[in-house]
Amino acid sequence: MNLRKERWGILTAGLCIGIIAALLVMLGNPINMGFCIACFLRDISGALGLHRAAAVQYIRPEIIGLVLGSLLVAIRHREFLPRGGSSPMTRFIIAFFVMIGCLMFLGCPFRMILRLAGGDGNALFGLVGFAAGILCGVFFLNRGYSLGRTYKLPTAEGAMLPSAMGVLLGLLLLAPSFIFFTEAGAGPGANHAGIFFSLIAGLAVGAMAQRTRLCMVGGIRDVVLFGEFKLLLGFAAIFSAALIANIVFGLFTPGFNSQPVAHTDGLWNALGMLLCGFGCVLLGGCPLRQLVLAGEGNTDSAVTVLGLLVGAAFAHNFGLAASAAGPTLNGKIAVMIGLAAIAAIACMNTFKKK
Amino acid sequence: MICIATFYSHFGAIRFKRTCDQAGLGAMIMPVPRDLSSSCGTCVRFEGNYPEEIPQEIEQIVVCENGGYRLLYRAENA
Repeated sequence: MNLRKERWGILTAGLCIGIIAALLVMLGNPINMGFCIACFLRDISGALGLHRAAAVQYIRPEIIGLVLGSLLVAIRHREFLPRGGSSPMTRFIIAFFVMIGCLMFLGCPFRMILRLAGGDGNALFGLVGFAAGILCGVFFLNRGYSLGRTYKLPTAEGAMLPSAMGVLLGLLLLAPSFIFFTEAGAGPGANHAGIFFSLIAGLAVGAMAQRTRLCMVGGIRDVVLFGEFKLLLGFAAIFSAALIANIVFGLFTPGFNSQPVAHTDGLWNALGMLLCGFGCVLLGGCPLRQLVLAGEGNTDSAVTVLGLLVGAAFAHNFGLAASAAGPTLNGKIAVMIGLAAIAAIACMNTFKKK
Repeated sequence: MICIATFYSHFGAIRFKRTCDQAGLGAMIMPVPRDLSSSCGTCVRFEGNYPEEIPQEIEQIVVCENGGYRLLYRAENA
């Protein structure tokens, strides 16, 4: 065991990822959105026509890169180990509601850090809710929560999601007419860095996240469970690097009002991330971690990614997603239903056991 | 002999640590070391021989030696 090496690795990876995120904004991604797994999966969902919110439709190469970067490094280190069978449908439902929570807050935990690093004070409410959600999840972990064991699966099964990412890359490059892309100036979907840089950035972050097991949820969870700050160090390193890069690039605008792709309703920012944090602990990792695990051949994580995609589609088809104008009534109801559903799933998979 | 057991659930690790404590084996619950697995789950580091009857919640048991790990047990189909 080499804890010191692990800590240096995660610190270095976090610093690199924070800088890459800021660079992606400089090269065209929406502000404070160098990376956002929830937003990018939502954009992909729209590009595939699963929702018709014209402002948020684009096949984000970063997502493709994250999965393929993880896959390549996992193969290189003999860690591509197809596994699955740990309550996939339950994971799908949890992921669905995690996405509803993310789109209430307008970002995943990764973007929450980037919003904080960009000076968006509203993300502080998200952080409080996120930490509270993780504590809720830890409460159940310590009392027996489990979705059951995983089983070894054929290689082809583990290769399905990475292969789908290859198809998405083909669709992005060929841009056939049945794929939807936000028109220039029509919304965040139109703001993106070039395909090549986005893909390289995704590959690099996917590779680093695979090696370091970087996870936004794991950071706080491990501090609570073990008093272990290693993963939280990655969280802090991303924040620090992105903060410095934002200041250098002139992207740091501290305040609460008029923040990019954000609203000022503190309560619902917090509740959205409460739902996200709670659900992610039950899933065993944040949305970024799920993409990385899917790249390692974990089909439970692949199903989780599909749940996130479908959740995004529902969020926009039924007016659940918040916007800069604030949360919608439908969205508030969906978050409350989500919290009840996640709590019920947690109870059912905790207290039924001896 | 220092061993590390990895688990399918966090609670499995908690239960196993209790068993180790009752058996007088020095046991510590902690995150799975990166050089042992790419999983970010929970493991138990304990001293002594591993149990004859291995709980179903255990995924694998390794012994720490020469700066590395030697596999002692892996669950079926894991």
